[in-house]
Amino acid sequence: MSIKDKVPVTILTGFLGSGKTTLLNRILSEEHGKRIAVIENEYGEVGIDQGLVINADEEVFEMSNGCICCTVRGDLIRVLGNLMKRRDKFDYVLVETTGLADPGPVAQTFFMDEEISSEFTLDGIVTLVDAAHIDQQLGRSDESSEQVAFADVLVLNKTDLVSDDALDTLESRLRDMNRMTRIIRAENAKVPIETVLNLSAFDLDQILKRRPTFLEPEYPFEWTGVYDLDAGKYELMLEEGPDPEMSLVALVNQGESEEELKDGAESSVRLYAENANTLEPGNTVPYGEHVNLKLEDKGNKSFILNIEKSTKIGLFTQHTAEEFNMKVIKSSENKEIPFNTERFWQAEHEHDDEVGSIAIERFGDVDPEKLNTWMGRLLSEKGVDIFRTKGFISYSGNPRRIVFQGVHMLFTAQPDKEWGNEPRRNQLVFIGRNLNEKEMQEGFDKCLI
Amino acid sequence: MPDIEPFSPRGMFHEGWTAEVNDYAIACGWALKGKQFIVGDVAGGLFSFEGDTGKIIWKKENTHSGGLLAMAIHPEGEIFATSGQDGNVQICNCHEGKVIKTLDLGKGWVEHLKWSNDGLFLAIASSKKVYVFNEIGEEKWISEDHPSTVSAITWSNKNELATACYGRVTFFDIVNNKTNQKLEWQGSLVSMELSPDGDIVACGSQDNSVHFWRRSTGMDAEMTGYPGKPSHLSFDDSGKLLATSGSERITVWSFIGNGPEGTMPGELCHHTEPISSLAFSNKGMLVASGSRDGSVVASFLKNDGNGDPVGAAFAGDLVEAISWRPDDCALAAVNAKGVVNVWKFKVRTNLFSKGFK
Repeated sequence: MSIKDKVPVTILTGFLGSGKTTLLNRILSEEHGKRIAVIENEYGEVGIDQGLVINADEEVFEMSNGCICCTVRGDLIRVLGNLMKRRDKFDYVLVETTGLADPGPVAQTFFMDEEISSEFTLDGIVTLVDAAHIDQQLGRSDESSEQVAFADVLVLNKTDLVSDDALDTLESRLRDMNRMTRIIRAENAKVPIETVLNLSAFDLDQILKRRPTFLEPEYPFEWTGVYDLDAGKYELMLEEGPDPEMSLVALVNQGESEEELKDGAESSVRLYAENANTLEPGNTVPYGEHVNLKLEDKGNKSFILNIEKSTKIGLFTQHTAEEFNMKVIKSSENKEIPFNTERFWQAEHEHDDEVGSIAIERFGDVDPEKLNTWMGRLLSEKGVDIFRTKGFISYSGNPRRIVFQGVHMLFTAQPDKEWGNEPRRNQLVFIGRNLNEKEMQEGFDKCLI
Repeated sequence: MPDIEPFSPRGMFHEGWTAEVNDYAIACGWALKGKQFIVGDVAGGLFSFEGDTGKIIWKKENTHSGGLLAMAIHPEGEIFATSGQDGNVQICNCHEGKVIKTLDLGKGWVEHLKWSNDGLFLAIASSKKVYVFNEIGEEKWISEDHPSTVSAITWSNKNELATACYGRVTFFDIVNNKTNQKLEWQGSLVSMELSPDGDIVACGSQDNSVHFWRRSTGMDAEMTGYPGKPSHLSFDDSGKLLATSGSERITVWSFIGNGPEGTMPGELCHHTEPISSLAFSNKGMLVASGSRDGSVVASFLKNDGNGDPVGAAFAGDLVEAISWRPDDCALAAVNAKGVVNVWKFKVRTNLFSKGFK
């Protein structure tokens, strides 16, 4: 049976009070042309006549080998086992979990049990969070951070109760924990149905389309502007911004292609690692050095850029130009010179939560055997802490790319579309607890040919 | 749909009759000593056919709202019980299908029904509880809550009932309301069969193994290496052989001598897809197997668990259940499309010499 014939299943998780029942009701009452069977936890009270609603006691069954990755939900196996005999009655399944449920066993059920995996496919995990309370919940319970870590979609619900600033902070905290997830803000669980059903969330292509930078490394700067400047004196003018100072690296002969920008970024990362010289307004900005602009004073502050002969200058700034309304002005003509090109970077910041994401992106091919050995060892040692794995791999000698996905220790690797003219590369994301990024990257690098 | 080509009955299988029920057929059984064959479909339809001809005798629809889950025919064959998602059990008369008694057990699914061998008791499992009623529907015993939903029940003798759930098998003396024995094993037990003398307890486990205990010695063993979970188990009438599902092969453990510990099981490779039903004949070492590929095969087994096919037939789609007629002269199969097939099973004289029967 191909994946197209299998019945898609969405898992709905979230703490008590996060709005799962409201969302469930919304999905069931909307006209979407789907016949949805709902498997509700015992405390659920959907009370909707349409559709097939089945109550189930959450029964988490560990296996005798003690492996948490083999842990499944016995009640789902029973209920779905019966449901698959009535396939003419429904074409979609929604599983609602209790607030304290660990999403692992639910997701694993769709990998571990052959009878279930031959008829159903896990379409996605949707986690609702109560914007007003999730901060506290994340501090108090492992379950809530696991629910965030497992999510393909995070519905940040009850946003009307929280300020925009607090929502931004919360969103970036959640994003830190799970870089693959799509975050949707909602009031009263009001979200478009298509953002929670039929996600094919295990499809990495979609994620990349949505967030092309999510696999990128993080940089100590957020923005680069490339300016085409003739010989002469220029002023770098900044207004007040979010910080009383800002780090910057200026590079001469900065190219504008993506490759040249990345080269420039690489050099800047090294320079950023060195201690910054502090520059007061009126000082001249040196090239190829890490400097820290003092921006405490009110109003416009200018720093000097001296250009001996015409060149392209790349400014790699800690914050975006917009935040300080940063301008480059040719002194002799008092005229603003706009940038030719700008580029935003994934900014680096403190990771407070134990749960986080690691991305590995490498061009080239890997040796399938070495990769298997490495992944096998990694997942057997760290499988408990690795919640989700997704990615593409380029096996040497294989014209197709290999799609990888896993929950804890379980993973599947399947040939996908042909590479064609696309450059062959590997993209892997791990979401888990206390993962060692450097070690994992080095481990992966050893699998490259 | 199965990938294999349809084929006519072969070997000892011969054309009998076919019929159709309204939906996915999930339960079947012979009543009135083989004169009637009753089939239940997933939507709650019940159909009674004449055992020899397949002529419909009576039918009922929507017997359980939400759907039918189980059916058990009384050993005398005059009455039968059904249960469903509505939390009800109905005891009916086989002749007309008339409901004699309806038992309302609450809102949980009622998934398992078993009559005791002497027919005095009907055991019923619903969620974490097990109930025992007598033939006329009077409640005789209720268990405490089990640690999880009860996954299988079976009678070990006329007063003793075995239940399986996550982590354990328990034996209850239901007349004296006593727990006789608890066998523990950390695993999700999905199926259970007892040897006819009640000594060997075999359970299929979610972790793709078969676990068994000998009650007399307390010894237990785990048979691992199955590609899938062994949901279907069947003992032969002498208790020597245990046939198990768990892949497209039938794995047969022999309890003769010191086995099966440390022995190689017999393996029968007749199907292209996993086994979906399994039943030993009422007498003798014949095992019938049905597969997701729609094929049904009968195999004659030797003491070591190996054996040869003696007949095969095509049931059209996933074989949900198979049932030998009480005299073993016919085999019935019901499938996922609601098709009922009954084949005559005739012993050919040249097989007598091989020791069959």
